[in-house]
Amino acid sequence: MAVLLTLSIYPLFYSVTISLQQHTAEGVRWGLGNFARLFSDNFFVAALAHTFVYAVAALTCEFLIGLGLALLLNNQIRARSVFRASLLIPMMLPTVVVGVVWRLMLNPNFGAINGTLKQFGINTESLTWTASPKLAMLSVIAVDVWQWTPFVFLVLLAGLQAIPQEPYEAALIDGSSRWQTFWHVTLPLLKPSILIVLLLRTMDLLRVFDQIFILTEGGPGFATETISLYIYRTAFRFFDFGYAAAMSFVLLALTNVISAMYIKFLQAKESI
Amino acid sequence: MRLTLSLILVSLVLLASCTGNPQRKQLTLAVVSGVEGEALKQAARDYETLKNVHIEIAEFPYSNLFEKELIDLKARTGAYDLIMLDDPWFPRFAHEQVLTDLTPLLQKHGQSGPDSDFIQTSLALCRHPYQTGALFALPYVGNSQLFFYRKDLFEKYLMKPPATWNDVRTAAKTIQEKESAGANGEHVYGYVMRAAQGNAAVADFMPIFWAFGGEMFDANGKPTVNSPEGIAALEFMVELGKYSPPGYPSFNADDVGAHLLQGTAAMSINWPAWISSFGDPSKSKVIGKMEFTTLPGAQKSGQAEIGNWLIAIPRDSLNGDQAIEFLVWATSAEQMKRSAQRGNPPTRKSLFQDPELVAKNPAYPAQLRSLESSRPRPRTPYWNEIENAFGIFLSKANSGELSPADAMNQANAEIEKILQRAN
Repeated sequence: MAVLLTLSIYPLFYSVTISLQQHTAEGVRWGLGNFARLFSDNFFVAALAHTFVYAVAALTCEFLIGLGLALLLNNQIRARSVFRASLLIPMMLPTVVVGVVWRLMLNPNFGAINGTLKQFGINTESLTWTASPKLAMLSVIAVDVWQWTPFVFLVLLAGLQAIPQEPYEAALIDGSSRWQTFWHVTLPLLKPSILIVLLLRTMDLLRVFDQIFILTEGGPGFATETISLYIYRTAFRFFDFGYAAAMSFVLLALTNVISAMYIKFLQAKESI
Repeated sequence: MRLTLSLILVSLVLLASCTGNPQRKQLTLAVVSGVEGEALKQAARDYETLKNVHIEIAEFPYSNLFEKELIDLKARTGAYDLIMLDDPWFPRFAHEQVLTDLTPLLQKHGQSGPDSDFIQTSLALCRHPYQTGALFALPYVGNSQLFFYRKDLFEKYLMKPPATWNDVRTAAKTIQEKESAGANGEHVYGYVMRAAQGNAAVADFMPIFWAFGGEMFDANGKPTVNSPEGIAALEFMVELGKYSPPGYPSFNADDVGAHLLQGTAAMSINWPAWISSFGDPSKSKVIGKMEFTTLPGAQKSGQAEIGNWLIAIPRDSLNGDQAIEFLVWATSAEQMKRSAQRGNPPTRKSLFQDPELVAKNPAYPAQLRSLESSRPRPRTPYWNEIENAFGIFLSKANSGELSPADAMNQANAEIEKILQRAN
């Protein structure tokens, strides 16, 4: 209990307190000033938008690819265990390592990706992966997909293997097509795994920090700055802890709302 | 039960930390990792054997040093007796009143103040307010920007060393056109710059901005980056970007260094720390081909950005007397010469002219000229925040997201917001 108090509850109350303080030349001003500032802060609004674009795009790709792979490797195919093991490598690497490796590969002049493309005679002059505002977001999303699809795959595969054979046999007897079997048998039975994987990935994606920090540091310009990066900058570069705390609470609230929506949505479907 | 246990544990830890050997004098230093901090670390080791003082070193990478130091100093833990500061951080630390005024300490040691061998532009950084106020630090590493260019290519195309930014543009164009169809498909870009948001873009832009007559603030402290001169400077930077390798809006110092070392770019603004690597056969393809000079001018004469490392004593240091003794020793001409031999530009004029050092560092005369005529980044405690906002818009202009005029107007508005909040 004492540990919980010191490590969790005290910091929480402390961050609430500082989020209500603004330091000015005249001294500390109490109130909701930090929260009001959020609305007029172009950087915050842009970072929020980037975070959502990033989370939605990465989550969609990871889920679809992960599900596809799980379905594929759930069947008996040759060298299945090799595939399974190799798919897990990205996930086991520290995020910082992934960031550095990809940063080198994406380097427009010396990197492996443009180097390979050049070998095939493709003009890479305009493929400045982390330096063009359009490609930079794509690049950071691709890296997250590369690293975290295996996690989605793993959870869904475990879910698939836990499904008993009987419903499939019943469906076969009823003459359902493969698509119908997937839609009416596999998906509903996989729902608990889907819920878990979506929930965990969403929470992770909304607070993404390390890969982007290493790959682009939020750039070029502001193109890949997410909320976590902006919070970090505000707190540790500008030393405005109050405003950083206020933004953190907004992020927390958003994550909670989205998670609650997931749970509601998937549970509601279950009860039908 | 668990509470008592943890209480006992905490008191044990406290006890242990109090019962260190009180006889032996002790100092704690916060240093940056890399060549600048390495020299100070080695100096500290020499000092230990010389004076029987135990010196504790806390080493942090550049990106964490600022936050570690400021958090500690603001919490008044007295953990550090000496801290290394990058000069743009200094106004913030001085503004927060967490540093010790060095003059009384120096007087105690029989000195009226820092001696006149220190370069004036370096020493001015250590005073708050700038140049005129009380002395809160001493300069240790005397960096200022230099203009790097490929001597061989300039000679090949019969061009004089660039004196103005127009010369730079002409040379960049010539080199890029003539060196683009090399025998083995080698491509030399005319210029290489870094325009990643934040420090990188701002550092590469300021010398152009100043040369074009731009000023960040007017006499009343109002931001004026969107003046016609400022916009013209950014337009020029974007134009120069056409001769820079693709992807430069995300370049940092290491990308620029890589292009120069590989011989794929002909000119850049850079820091003296890179000079030694051009002579290293394991890294460099351009041995003996690089030349270093002061920055080009335009409407105004060229001025480099100064970037010194300072050493300060936190206000809450428990060992102020020993700290100043070490500080005076480490910044003395004799010790700074050793630091220079370990690869750091000094902050003393006599050392830039020391024949032994000049023989090893042929760029020292240029470095001295650059340093003596250099300019600091604006002295404001909110520099980190301003640099961040400014850098974002510079980067956006270079990546084509905004026109130079729009970028400067938006940057000006953001800087104004930051200052309004602060006051």
